[in-house]
Amino acid sequence: MRVPTAVLQRNARRPQKEDQVPFQELLPLRLRNHVSGKSNRMNDVSCLQEMATMFACMKTNEFSESLCNKEISNFQKCYKVHIDRAFEAKKTDNQGIVKPGKDLNYKQLNKYLRNYPSPF
Amino acid sequence: MLGPASKLALFRPTICLVSHMSVYPKNYIDPIFKKDQQEALKTSGEHLKIAHIPIKAARNNDTVSVFHDDVISKFTNYIMRKGDKLLARDLLDKSFEQIKRVQLEKYNTAKTEEEKAKIQTNPKEILHQAIENSRPLLQLTPIKRGGVTYQVPVPITINRSNFMAMKWIIEAANEKERTIHFPQKLAWELLDAASNQGRVVKRKQDLHKQCEANRAYAHYRWS
Repeated sequence: MRVPTAVLQRNARRPQKEDQVPFQELLPLRLRNHVSGKSNRMNDVSCLQEMATMFACMKTNEFSESLCNKEISNFQKCYKVHIDRAFEAKKTDNQGIVKPGKDLNYKQLNKYLRNYPSPF
Repeated sequence: MLGPASKLALFRPTICLVSHMSVYPKNYIDPIFKKDQQEALKTSGEHLKIAHIPIKAARNNDTVSVFHDDVISKFTNYIMRKGDKLLARDLLDKSFEQIKRVQLEKYNTAKTEEEKAKIQTNPKEILHQAIENSRPLLQLTPIKRGGVTYQVPVPITINRSNFMAMKWIIEAANEKERTIHFPQKLAWELLDAASNQGRVVKRKQDLHKQCEANRAYAHYRWS
C-alpha cells in the first residue's frame, strides 16, 4: 500500500542536524594573505597585424623576401619592441616598488597584504 | 693568499633563488677584447661607466687577429662534435678552400670585367651571405588547446634565427653520399645558400609556407 509522504512527516529538504553531521572546517574560512601571480602573466600575442600584412605580401610574391623588405622589417621591429617592453616590465615588477593606485601586479599586492594582513 | 675554496666563494652569489649555471654572478659583463671596440668605447666615454664593473675572463678563442670572426667561431662550435674543435676547424677550413677554388675558377673563366666584379671570392663573405639567406622569420610551436595540438607560428629573435640557419646548413651538409666528404658538401651548400637557392633556402621557404597556412592559429600563442 502506498503511504502518502505527508503522513510520515518527513521532509527530504530539511537541514542537517548539527549533532549528527558536525561542521568540519576543511579550508580556513578567511582570505589568504597572498595572491598567486598566474593571472599577471603577460599576454604574448602581439604583432598579429604586422604578421598578417607580411604573410599577404609573401604570398603574392611567392615567398621571396627581397620583395617584402618593408613588411618584414616592420614585423621584426614590432616583435623587438614587444620583447624589450616585456623585459622592462619584468624588471620594474621585480624591483617591487609599491605605488598607490589600482593597477597593481601580484608582487605589489603581496607586499600590501604582508603589511596589512587579514584582521581575523 | 686565497685557497681554491675561498676563491670559488668569491664567485658564489649571496642569494640564489633560481639556479644560475654560470660561475659568474649576473653583474659581471662580457669582456671587450677587440681593439677597435675598445677605442670606440674610449672615444665615446663609455669606458668610464664600466670602469668599476667586474668583467668576465675572455674565452681562449677571443682574439684580435684579423682572421677572427664571431660568426665563424660560432659556426665552428656548431660543427664540433664531442668537443673536437681541432677537427671542426679543420673541416671548415677545408670547406673554405673548396669554396675559394670554385669561385676562383668561375672568376678566371669569366670573360668580361663586369662579370668578374660580380663574383664573390671571399669564403667568409659567402658564409655570412649564406647564413643571412637561410635565416627564418618565424617558427612553428606546438600549442595544446582543447585537446588538439596546433602548430602555431611565432616570431623568433635574431639569435634564434641565426642558430636555426646554421643548424640547417650543417644538417644539409651531413645528408650526403658516403663517398662525398663533409667539407665538399658543406662548400656546395654554402655556395647554394649564398646565391639564394638550394635545399636550405627551400627549407626556409617551406617553413614560411607552413606558417602562412597556419596563420589562423597565430592568436593561440601565449608563452
